[in-house]
Amino acid sequence: MADNSASSGRLKYEAGFAREVYGMENGSYLKLCMQCGVCAVSCATFKIMDYSPRRLFALVRAGRKEEVMKSNTFWMCTTCLMCKARCPRGIPIVDVMHDLKGLALKQGYVNYPQAAFYQAFWQDLAGRGRIFEGGVTARYFLKRGPKDFGKIMAQKDVGLKMLSHGRLPLRPPKAVKGKKELMQMVAKARELEQKGAN
Amino acid sequence: MAKKIGVFICTGCSIGEALDTEALARVATKEKKIPLCKKNAFLCGRQGAELIKQDVVAEGLEAVVIAACSPRINYDVFDFGPSTIVERVNLREQVVWSHPADDEDTQAMAEDYLRMGITKAQASELPVPYLAENMVKSILVVGGGLAGLTAANEAALAGYRVVLVEKEPFLGGFAGRMYKSAPSRPPYTDLEDTPVAGLVADVEASPLIEVHTKTTVARIEGGPCLYDVTLEKDGQPSSFRAGAIVVATGARPYDAARLDRLGYGRYANVVTGVALEDMAREGKIQRPADGKPVQNAVFVLCAGSRDPGHLPYCSSSCCVESLKQALYLKEQNPDAGVYVIFKDIRTLGRYEEFYKKVQNEGVIFIKGEVTAVSEDGSRNLSVEFADLLLGERAEAAEVDLVVLATGMVPSTVDYAEQGAEDCPAGNVPTVQQPVLNLAYRQGPELPALNYGFPDSHFICFPYETRRTGIYAAGSVRAPMDLAAATEDATGAAMKAIQCVELTSRGAAVHPRVGDLSYPEFFMQRCTQCKRCTEECPFGAINEDEKANPLPNPTRCRRCGVCMGACPERIISFKNYSVPMIGNMIKAIDVPEEDEEKPRIVVFACENDAYPALDMAGLNHLGYNAWVRVIPVRCLGSMNLVWVADSLSKGIDGILLLGCKHGDDYQCHFIKGSELADIRLSKVAETLGRLQLEPDRVRMVQVNIMDYDKVPGILDDFAERLVEIGPNPYKGF
Repeated sequence: MADNSASSGRLKYEAGFAREVYGMENGSYLKLCMQCGVCAVSCATFKIMDYSPRRLFALVRAGRKEEVMKSNTFWMCTTCLMCKARCPRGIPIVDVMHDLKGLALKQGYVNYPQAAFYQAFWQDLAGRGRIFEGGVTARYFLKRGPKDFGKIMAQKDVGLKMLSHGRLPLRPPKAVKGKKELMQMVAKARELEQKGAN
Repeated sequence: MAKKIGVFICTGCSIGEALDTEALARVATKEKKIPLCKKNAFLCGRQGAELIKQDVVAEGLEAVVIAACSPRINYDVFDFGPSTIVERVNLREQVVWSHPADDEDTQAMAEDYLRMGITKAQASELPVPYLAENMVKSILVVGGGLAGLTAANEAALAGYRVVLVEKEPFLGGFAGRMYKSAPSRPPYTDLEDTPVAGLVADVEASPLIEVHTKTTVARIEGGPCLYDVTLEKDGQPSSFRAGAIVVATGARPYDAARLDRLGYGRYANVVTGVALEDMAREGKIQRPADGKPVQNAVFVLCAGSRDPGHLPYCSSSCCVESLKQALYLKEQNPDAGVYVIFKDIRTLGRYEEFYKKVQNEGVIFIKGEVTAVSEDGSRNLSVEFADLLLGERAEAAEVDLVVLATGMVPSTVDYAEQGAEDCPAGNVPTVQQPVLNLAYRQGPELPALNYGFPDSHFICFPYETRRTGIYAAGSVRAPMDLAAATEDATGAAMKAIQCVELTSRGAAVHPRVGDLSYPEFFMQRCTQCKRCTEECPFGAINEDEKANPLPNPTRCRRCGVCMGACPERIISFKNYSVPMIGNMIKAIDVPEEDEEKPRIVVFACENDAYPALDMAGLNHLGYNAWVRVIPVRCLGSMNLVWVADSLSKGIDGILLLGCKHGDDYQCHFIKGSELADIRLSKVAETLGRLQLEPDRVRMVQVNIMDYDKVPGILDDFAERLVEIGPNPYKGF
C-alpha cells in the first residue's frame, strides 16, 4: 500500500486545477461531492490505492495537481461500479475516474503499468478495429522497456500453454470491415466528448 | 348538603368478569347510601350514555360517578353538560387490566376506588368561571420584524385587533435588511425576495392593526385579557388594555469584536455576514479596505458558535445564510473563488437542494477549523486552517474578503462586562435587557430556559413562555431562519388567540385547557405567610402591603401549587381541595394489621405519572394491589396534611409520582414537582417525631414513557414497606 499521508508543508488552496477537472466530461459532478466517504468504504481496491476516491476529490479541490495525477487511485479502479451505485449525491465516480485517466495520459503521467497497457490496447485496436493479443503484449512490453523483461519471462509458461491450445494466434487477425467508418465514429465521439465538457 | 348522586358501573371491557360487581354496587348503595346505582355492559355506547342522560334528567342528578375506564378517555361521551359533576372511577386500566381477576385484593381495590370516587363527588362543586370586568381580546405584538409582522397579520386575518410595537422608526426588522432570502419553494434552488415588504404592506393596510414605530413598552401590568400596557414614544407615555402578548423582538448577531482570533476589527476586509448582506443590498460587494473587486472570498461558518468560549449553541440559520451569500458573490463574478470553511453543514430538509445548487455553482466546501487570519502589505488576506478531511494544515492565500457567519443572541439578553460574576462562560450573554417591563413579582422580563432564550420546554409548551398569556415567537425564542420564524409566529398568534378566547370565558389555558375552576382564598384564616405568593410558578398571586395574597386569576394555570403550599389549607378549588383529597384518603378501607395487607397511597401527577399508570394497564403489566392511586393536578398541589391524614388513617406508605425537575424539567407547571420534593424533605423530621420511619414516604420522578418501569417502582416500594413493618397507627 502506498503512503496515504499527504506530504509535509502547507497545503495551499488554489482553484485552477479544480477548474481543469470540472472542465472534463464528467468532472463537474465532483462539485457535488460532500465528502461523506461512502465511495471509500465501498471500493474493492481501496486498500491498494494511494488515496481513496473521497480523498482524491478533496485533493482536486485543494488544487494539488501533482499528487492527484501521480497517484495510482484511478489506475487501480476496477470499474466495479459499487461507488457509483452508492454515492448519495449521484456522482458517476467510475466515469470521473475514466476522465482522470484520460487527463493523465494526455498530460504524460504514464508511470503506471496500467497506463502503458491502456495505451498499448488502444493503439492495437485502432490499427485494425480488432485485438491481436500478441500485438498488445508486445506493445506493452516495448513501452515498459527493459525493466519489465523479467516479467515477460515469468509469463512464458502461460504463453506456451495458450499457444498449445490455439489460444494465442501467431498471426494478426484481419482488420474489421469498414475500418474507416469506425475511425470516423471514434473521431465523432471524441468531438462530442469535448463538446460535452464545455 | 346532600347532593343527588348516581353511580353507574360499566361491566364491559372485562370489568364484569374480573370483579364481583354486585358487591361493588353494595358499596355504593349500602355503605355510601347512594340510592341510584346502575350497571351496564356498554356504558360508553350510545345506549349506555343515553341511560345516564335520562337519569340525570329524570332523577335530577347533580353528580354522576362513572366506574368504568380511565378519565383520560371517553371524556366527551361522559359529558352531561355544565351543570352535572362527573367523577370517574378508573376500574379498567388501573384495576382489572393490571391485576388478577376474581381476586380478593383486586376486588378490595375496586371497592376502595369506588368509595373514593363517591366521596370526591360528594364534596365536589360546580366551578363558577372567573370573569372580570373590561376583559379585552386584542393582541399586543412586540417587535415589527418578520415574526412580529407575521403574528400581527395572522391574528388580524383571524379577526383580532392587534397593536404592533416596533422600537425602530420602520417595520421590517432584521429580515427587512436582507438583499434576498434563501429558497422557500420548489425547486428550492433559487434566491427569492424576502417576504417582508409584502407583509409590511399587508400590516399597514389592515384596519385591525395599529402600528406604533419608534415606540417601546414601558410597563405591562395585569394578566391575560387584562394587561394594562404603557407604551412610550419620544418620552410620551400612552396606555391601553391588551388580551395577550406575542414577543417577537428577534435576535442580534453575536458581537464579532470578540472574534479577534479571526481578524475582525484588525483587518477591514474581514466582515460579518450582516455587513456582506448590507453590501449586497446596496448593489456592490467589494473589498471594504480599498474598494477593489472581490476575486477570492472565504466564508468562516460557526464563527463564535458551537464554541464553549463564545456561543455554545448552533444558531441554525447561518449555514443557509452563508450559502445564500456565497451565491451573491458567484452572481456578481462567476469566476470568483469562493471557499466555505465549515464545522458541519446543517442544511436541513429541502435546503439540501440549495446546498447542491451552491456546490454546482463551484463554491468549494472545506471541513476545517480556522486557526489564523493575516494580512499582507497589499491588504490581501491569508486564512490558515486545519483541513479536517485531508488531515493537514492548509491555507487560502490572496483572499479579498473573509466573511464571518456569526450566530444569534436573543434580544432579551446582552453581554455582561468581561470578568463580571454573571459572565460564566467568558463571552456568553447573560444580562437581561428591558423588553417587556412586566410589573410581576418575579421580575420584569421573561425567564430564560437556555442561553438566555425565553423558551419554555417546547415539547410540553409549544410557543409558550413561563408567563401565562405571553408567547415568544421567532429568533427571540430559539435561533431559527425565516421559514421557521414565519411558522413560529403563526403558532404564537394562534396561542394568543386561544388565550384570549379561553380567558374571556374564565377558562384556563394550556396545559389545563378549558378548566373553569380557579383557586379561592378563605381570607379570614390567612396568616400572611407568603408561601402561596412566593411559590406560584406563574406569579399569579401578588401581595398587598400587609402581605395578604392578591390573586390574578387570569394568570393562573390552575396547577394548585398554592393549595399545596398553604399551611392553613385556606386555598381551594371548587372541585379540588385539601379536605376533598383528605376525605378520599379517609374513605380507603384499611385492613387490620394481622391481615398483613399494607395499604399504599400513590399521589400521581395527572400529566405524566397517571397516564403512565394507565399505559401500564393497557399493556397488562401487573403490579401490587395494595396501592390506591389518587390523581393530583401537579405534585406541587400536594399538601403535606395529606401525608398526616394517610398515616393517621393507618396507611403504610405514601408514594409520589411526579415529573422530572431541575434544569431540564418536564413538570407541566415548571416547578411543581421540585416544590413537592422540597416539601417532602421537611416531612422526614415530622415523621421522626411521630416515631415513624421517613422511608414510608417516597417520591419518584417518572415520565409517560416510563410506564414499563412503573410496576417495578410500585413493587419496590411495597417490598420496602414490608421490611419496615406495618404502620403502628393502624386501628387507632
